[in-house]
Amino acid sequence: MNRRLTMKRRQLLATGAIGAGALTLPRLALAQSDGPIMLGTLTPLTGVGGTYGPSMRDAVAGVVDSVNSAGGVLGRQIELVSEDTQTNPEAAVRAARKLVDVDGVSAIMGTWASSVTTAVAPVCWEGGVMVYTVSGSDSITQLPHEGYIIRTQPNSQLQIEVAAQFMLDQGATRVAWIGPQTPFAESSIAILGDVAGEGGASMDSLIYEADRTSYRSEVDQIMTGDPDFLMLGGYAADSTVLLRDLFQAGYEGKIIGPAYAVNASVLEALPNNVVEGLFTWEGTPDVTSGAYARVQQILGVDVVDPYSAQTYDHANLAILAMAAAGSSTGADMRGGVRTISQGDGEIIDNAVDGLEILAGGGSVNYNGASGPCDFTDIGDITGTQFLFRQIQDGQPVDFEVV
Amino acid sequence: MELIPQLLVNGVLYGSLLALPAIGFTTIFAVLRFPNFAVASIATLGAFAGWVANVPLGLPILVAVVVAFVIAGAVGVLADDIVLRPMRPFGALTTAIASIALTVVLENMIRFGFGNDLRGYDLPIVRDWRFLGIRVGPQQVENLVLATIIMVLLFAFLRYGRFGKAMRAVADNPQLAALKGIPSGTVTRLAIFIAMGLVGVGGILQGLGTAIDPLTGFRFILSIFAAAVVGGLGSIPGAVLGAFVIGIGQELSLVILDPTYKSAVGFLAILVVLIFRPEGLLGEKRQ
Repeated sequence: MNRRLTMKRRQLLATGAIGAGALTLPRLALAQSDGPIMLGTLTPLTGVGGTYGPSMRDAVAGVVDSVNSAGGVLGRQIELVSEDTQTNPEAAVRAARKLVDVDGVSAIMGTWASSVTTAVAPVCWEGGVMVYTVSGSDSITQLPHEGYIIRTQPNSQLQIEVAAQFMLDQGATRVAWIGPQTPFAESSIAILGDVAGEGGASMDSLIYEADRTSYRSEVDQIMTGDPDFLMLGGYAADSTVLLRDLFQAGYEGKIIGPAYAVNASVLEALPNNVVEGLFTWEGTPDVTSGAYARVQQILGVDVVDPYSAQTYDHANLAILAMAAAGSSTGADMRGGVRTISQGDGEIIDNAVDGLEILAGGGSVNYNGASGPCDFTDIGDITGTQFLFRQIQDGQPVDFEVV
Repeated sequence: MELIPQLLVNGVLYGSLLALPAIGFTTIFAVLRFPNFAVASIATLGAFAGWVANVPLGLPILVAVVVAFVIAGAVGVLADDIVLRPMRPFGALTTAIASIALTVVLENMIRFGFGNDLRGYDLPIVRDWRFLGIRVGPQQVENLVLATIIMVLLFAFLRYGRFGKAMRAVADNPQLAALKGIPSGTVTRLAIFIAMGLVGVGGILQGLGTAIDPLTGFRFILSIFAAAVVGGLGSIPGAVLGAFVIGIGQELSLVILDPTYKSAVGFLAILVVLIFRPEGLLGEKRQ
């Protein structure tokens, strides 16, 4: 019987391996010919990013609908295919392969987690497909992507520098960073350490394992350094556990976390006294723009999250880039993006207006819901504002804009 | 080094949360001889059933725990009848794989009903108590007491009750048990109900200390599996021992390991046990 048990364990492992292998079988590739132009969204509909993915997708769908109603682009209609990253690089690569090889999309929009974008990007540039992402990790635009990546999210270097300076301005003398292993963990620690060092503050850090149900021991460990200002580096689920554990451990210092980690669902899940006084920061959408109002209308909400604002811009940028390049291939769109996103053209805030001007021989400069949407040579965005908020009575209250 | 006593306490508290679902997992293995990975989603389901009782319906936590037990047990039996039982003639491996598919389906049904957002129970969060420089949370102590009471009741029920004997008989030899007039189908269903009920209670206890979302059970399935294997698959006292070994091992690992590798302790424990004592710490060597 013991022998039978051992066999079962081995069989289990073997079947796991076969299953994993089967999932990577090559897919049939279909070339995109006439008929509709295919575009793809690859957002986190499930997993830790699942709070944002559905509205990110809906924002793109709203743009596609409006362009199709106005006659499409390059004389063709657009068809949107939406896939789920599951906030998991392996699942995302499978979904990206399907979008690239089977659906034949020209662009993939809305990759959220940095680990996902890092995994998906090579599939895209090898398949000649543009990637529009909201991921923040510095390393993403440093990949050898040959112009196929456009990022509307400020990179993590800029984000961390701004937040680190904020911590010092608020009087921090012993700062610490605590977060899960992500592509931006090491760089965040290094940048915070540099800024803290220049400001005369001490620095400590701890990288934990994501997806744990308790961080009690990790909290005990980071508190041995007696920090007075903590920066969180995780996502919503682990930040909820961590904030709770910090409170229970009697931590009295200040805390700052990115707004995507301390979002509405975290504030809903935790009692007010646990999150009181906590700071958040984010690259803020341009709430005064016409584009922002359009996203509000598409989603039927008063407050648009930064990622849905950005994917609205992704769709507009992709469609205008096609029109400017006169081609729907990813390779041609690369060159088209910067001709419509920046420069001296007429300022517009949606693709339908832009397509009309381009058709009339004019040039355009797209300013979107997330901001001016101007890009560097490697695909990073320039000119973003950051909004700091403080949690008071369970609600985020605007603190300052930098 | 000065952290070790605190890490030990944290490990015991974490182990006590793992023990109930590990008992559930190992009980199903004892009776049906396959690893049922659907425990991940059943734990999540228990957490959500308890949340519905506690937050929208405003019932106290103890009632929510009972609701979690009943709903998780009932869905566990139903899912087994519909999905896993037809698979059993094809072997343990096929059934185990079907249970992985089942857990994905259940997880997404929960997601469909409740969405992805985090949800917290209607419980105040208070600062931990401190004794001699070691901190413990009142909620953790309550969980520990609750888990201990449930385990003691379960042991008494299985050791001295008629059902316990019948279950052991079915686990040992289903054909012989049937010849002796033991209704093995009913015993099996009841065993699954209790096992999945315990998994559901494990889910809600886990959620009381954190917050819940559709991935709640998935986050600790590896630790549950490791606890059951280390203790000896099919051994209920083994599952409890295994849960504490894994709980304490994972927390103490912080002394020498980077926290990023905490889960590796579970894999390492499985590896060591399978190499040196394949039947597990308290598992019986079978002929």
